[in-house]
Amino acid sequence: MRKAYIVGVGMTKVGKFYDKSIRELAAEAVFKALDEAGNEKPDAIVVGNMLSSLAEQENLASLIADYTGLRGISGFKVEGACGSGGAAFLAGCSFIASGIFKKVLVVGVEKLSERPTPATSRGLAWAADADYELVHGVSFAGLNALVMRYYMSKHGVSREEMAAWPVLMHENALQNPYAQLKKKISIEDVLKSPVIAEPVRLYDASPLSDGAAAVVLASEEVARKLSDTPIHVAGLGNALDSTDLTSRYELDRLLASKLSAEKAFQMAGVSSKDIDVAEIHDAYGVTAAISLEELGFAPRGKGAKLVYEGRFRAGDRPAVNPSGGLKARGHPVGATGIYQIVEVALQLRGDFPGINVGGEVGLTQNLGGVGANVTTTILRR
Amino acid sequence: MLTIQRVWRLQEKLIKLVGSECMNCGYVCYPPKAACPRCCSREVKKIQLPRVGKVLSYTVLKVPVEGFESKSPLIIALVELGKARILTQLTDVGADEIYIGMPVEATIRKSPQMIEGAAHYIIKFKPTIKK
Repeated sequence: MRKAYIVGVGMTKVGKFYDKSIRELAAEAVFKALDEAGNEKPDAIVVGNMLSSLAEQENLASLIADYTGLRGISGFKVEGACGSGGAAFLAGCSFIASGIFKKVLVVGVEKLSERPTPATSRGLAWAADADYELVHGVSFAGLNALVMRYYMSKHGVSREEMAAWPVLMHENALQNPYAQLKKKISIEDVLKSPVIAEPVRLYDASPLSDGAAAVVLASEEVARKLSDTPIHVAGLGNALDSTDLTSRYELDRLLASKLSAEKAFQMAGVSSKDIDVAEIHDAYGVTAAISLEELGFAPRGKGAKLVYEGRFRAGDRPAVNPSGGLKARGHPVGATGIYQIVEVALQLRGDFPGINVGGEVGLTQNLGGVGANVTTTILRR
Repeated sequence: MLTIQRVWRLQEKLIKLVGSECMNCGYVCYPPKAACPRCCSREVKKIQLPRVGKVLSYTVLKVPVEGFESKSPLIIALVELGKARILTQLTDVGADEIYIGMPVEATIRKSPQMIEGAAHYIIKFKPTIKK
């Protein structure tokens, strides 16, 4: 298997951009990433996206390639719900690893501001089981609310302890120029924010976002020519769980996250103790708590409590979500996995424009559905 | 979109509690699967799940998804039914009366979601009344 390197990264600010279309968002990120990598034409493009159908647009690989002057290259879209970005990155790396292509552009793009919130909510719930779950009217926030109540009840976690995560994420995002939510909040603000799906309140949830992020991947030989600071993709893992939340073995766990992390750690020859910086998939505070546990950063049932005690800030090891995470950087669903990879690559390069924690080894964890499709990536300086 | 043909295809699933049981390892699953998630065996049979169970977790949706705006707030629960669970709406109960472990039973009710102007029926759960 050939080694894959990140030689260029780019991203747009995350937010609601009524004046920008899918192709325009993608082009902004693509041009930045290509410019960092000597602006050479890539051999292929892989697009991560979940819900472009909300804007009545599929066939994204050709749309974006053509719009950005790359007509004629190879490519396609990869879909794994909110985990589409991570899955697209894995597909792009496998192109390099197999030797089929030497330079691959991976772009994640999402536009959730196109339709009214109930329509977008319905679209996001397509990540669940349509025949057995959505048919009862449950939203994606509702599914996570069921997990949150169960987790808090089983492990004796208080409402205040659960609120520490969004407070930390908002604090981290203050310094990130790409973040959507730039507002300091308190635990009290979280507890007073409007209810979306009991016990999930507005500040427990990631926002609806537009955005695009891109990376240029290259083989070792090409990477040496194109970049002075290539980031090695040392480990990759993906694992699937049930699409429905209903038949999970354990409601307070994310089995696919554990399995995908084990695969990535094994490939990279590292363990959770070696990780300096991580960007994890905190679509909801409870998702962050359980993810910390499945990644080996916290004992089972202690994820939220450790955050409340002040762990995982810049200066701690690992520093988790110095970008502000999905919670405050924002969650342009199919692009999120690529944002995480761009952010961790910039951390390892020492170039992240927000809270810069540096480090040698970084991790990203990107979830699709309620942890139904999970990709974990290990990056090395 | 929920279409008439989809409701027709789903009719058994919407109003009957049919799960799958693995003939090899005994694992019971709802929604039913074509093969066992635990041991991969395709020797699975349809089984009728119990109609009574208890609330494992619940939520009250203050932001409805498209199609369910007429019945807001919607109460959704995960209900433990023997060895399986179902995700379902709770009915005939106030949001502040529900608790984890509450005994509930199946009932057939109209869905808040209309299909091309027509109503359809769906299984829901209500509190068990002690007799």
